[in-house]
Amino acid sequence: MNALHLLKRWETVLAGLLVAEIALFGSMNPAFFAPSTLLYSTSDFIHIGITALALTLVIITGGIDLSVGSVMGLSAITLGLLWTRGVDIWIASIAALAVGALVGGLNSLAIHISKVNPLVITLGSGFLFGGTALVLSGLAGATGYEGISGFDPAFVGLANIEIVGVPLPLALFLVATIGFMALLHRTRFGRYIYLIGQNPRAAVYSGVPVFRTLTIAYALTGTMAALSGLIMASYFGSARSDFGATALMPAITAVVLGGTSIYGGSGTILGTALAALLVGYLQSGLQMVGVSSHVSSALSGALLVVVVALRSLTEMGHVYYLHRRVLKKVGSKQQ
Amino acid sequence: MIIRFLQCHREASVALIILALFAGLGLVDPTYLSVDTFLLVYGNSLILFVVAVGATMVMATHGLDVSIGSIMGLAAAIAGILMNHHYGVAVSIGAALLAGLACGLFNGVLVALLRVSAIVATLGTLGLYRGFVHLLTGGSWIEGLPEGFKALTHERYFGLSSFAWAVLVLLIVSHAFLRWTKFGRSMFAVGDNREGARLIGIRVGWVQLVAFALNGVLAAFAGVVFASQIGFIPNTAGTGMEMRAIASSVLGGVSLLGGTGTVLGAALGAFFMTSIDSVLVLLRLEAYWNDIIAGAILLIVLITDGKIRETVDSLLRYQKYRKFLDPESGSASAAGPHAGVPSDAVLTLTSSEVQK
Repeated sequence: MNALHLLKRWETVLAGLLVAEIALFGSMNPAFFAPSTLLYSTSDFIHIGITALALTLVIITGGIDLSVGSVMGLSAITLGLLWTRGVDIWIASIAALAVGALVGGLNSLAIHISKVNPLVITLGSGFLFGGTALVLSGLAGATGYEGISGFDPAFVGLANIEIVGVPLPLALFLVATIGFMALLHRTRFGRYIYLIGQNPRAAVYSGVPVFRTLTIAYALTGTMAALSGLIMASYFGSARSDFGATALMPAITAVVLGGTSIYGGSGTILGTALAALLVGYLQSGLQMVGVSSHVSSALSGALLVVVVALRSLTEMGHVYYLHRRVLKKVGSKQQ
Repeated sequence: MIIRFLQCHREASVALIILALFAGLGLVDPTYLSVDTFLLVYGNSLILFVVAVGATMVMATHGLDVSIGSIMGLAAAIAGILMNHHYGVAVSIGAALLAGLACGLFNGVLVALLRVSAIVATLGTLGLYRGFVHLLTGGSWIEGLPEGFKALTHERYFGLSSFAWAVLVLLIVSHAFLRWTKFGRSMFAVGDNREGARLIGIRVGWVQLVAFALNGVLAAFAGVVFASQIGFIPNTAGTGMEMRAIASSVLGGVSLLGGTGTVLGAALGAFFMTSIDSVLVLLRLEAYWNDIIAGAILLIVLITDGKIRETVDSLLRYQKYRKFLDPESGSASAAGPHAGVPSDAVLTLTSSEVQK
């Protein structure tokens, strides 16, 4: 109960920070308040949020997926390669999502077979998938980091379509947030995820299908990373193999800032979603008030450091306080 | 027997893979198999050697530092700016190393004193230090480094440059330091069992702090070598280096869970990662094959290693408990661990054993 309260408080803090941040940037540059700015500036960073949502599941199980960045590039390149070979763009998109799910499943399989730390396995598979994307883009004739472009205008236009006044990428993010919230907090699968993160041994003994649950979690992460790759391909109008190269660290940042323990066992989707928006708006807001994007990356790094250090300090203080209280009670009884 | 040897000496498996790689190169064109090729690869792997040594130290204490790429960039930028303001080469390098020390100490304080998880803390400082780079350079490249600085990576003594010799000394010293000194061993003790290390009187927080600080200095040194090698300093200097350093160390048998690994192994891993680059160039393959090959080999090594370790563990556990499982053969338990193990017994053991 206590932990639940603490988590609730954490999301409230995040929401408060988000509101304060938007108000601050808005007062510095009123253009920031315009609904179209607030809505459309999300397109620059929303792919990170979408990936972070699914990554939350994996991190709650006590694992991690370092290959999500590479999967973004791989899915975009898969799309581009199939498109240049004359495949219909929608079929190619579905194929790219399938590739994402497949590589996620492969990660889980490799972790299951080798029983090696997921951090190590996905580090290796990140190289592998990133390398595959590079080779595929090389085979498609787009040497090295050059992109594949010239997609169907209908596909390129997707990123700017509005659904009830919300641009499609943001709408996808909102839908995914609700979907993952339901999945994690309202289903048996979600409870399994927490149990595996809390105590994998207890999960096995209580009959939880650990491998299946983990595979679904990793496959979902792969799929969402692939979806992010597609969104970027649509947004930029081209597909490059290095799309996700800079997305990995911000995605993990969003998950951790959202209150998920990196050791697994606790965390919420809402926290991740809020943290993703918080970090994203920090970047775009700073750009709008004229701070260069380089400084804003430093500030979002500093934000992470300060937040986690403060959380750690309050936890240490809390433990110290509890110890003191217990010792005082014991002392007063003895007297 | 071979499996046991490889199990005890993880470095050997990497060495075998490197030999195989060069054998493949030799099959294509024997003239490539020369001291020159070896020295070329060695020269190309200097940066990775240095960061892999640092990663080994941090990983030995059960930490992880993903900010080394940014520390590299920051150190290189500081050295470059000082040199372009006509400070001496030695002074500039010293300042860069000090900056690295400060960065490493900050990481160490976060992890050791504030008890923030290592990956989270260094993830934050990754962005933070990279931001400092951009602030310092104003977003532009640093060019026009003095010739005296660039000459440090030019061939000088016995086919090796000054920095190459420095790295060689560093490898030997750090290997000896981690393997044979009290402080080096205490790093592994902390990584293996933090609470146990504390109970036998090791100052756990201090050891972690020093590991991160040394790692910062080494990353800064790598940044200096990088700047000297390519002769200018882009903003993105060192980006992605953290993953390569961790991959090299892991390939060489350093465990991310702390407590095991050697500098020799990490260096061999780093050598391998670089030799793929160079061999691909010599084989006239496109450079974009590099990552896929490195990733595939890394995964294969990790998965087979995990499998072997699991098998050996279950064999050992079988030896330990066999008299309870099979009363008749209990007297024969003095035989070696590989002697006549019924496969089905092993299977029941592994399936009943919960994965760790």
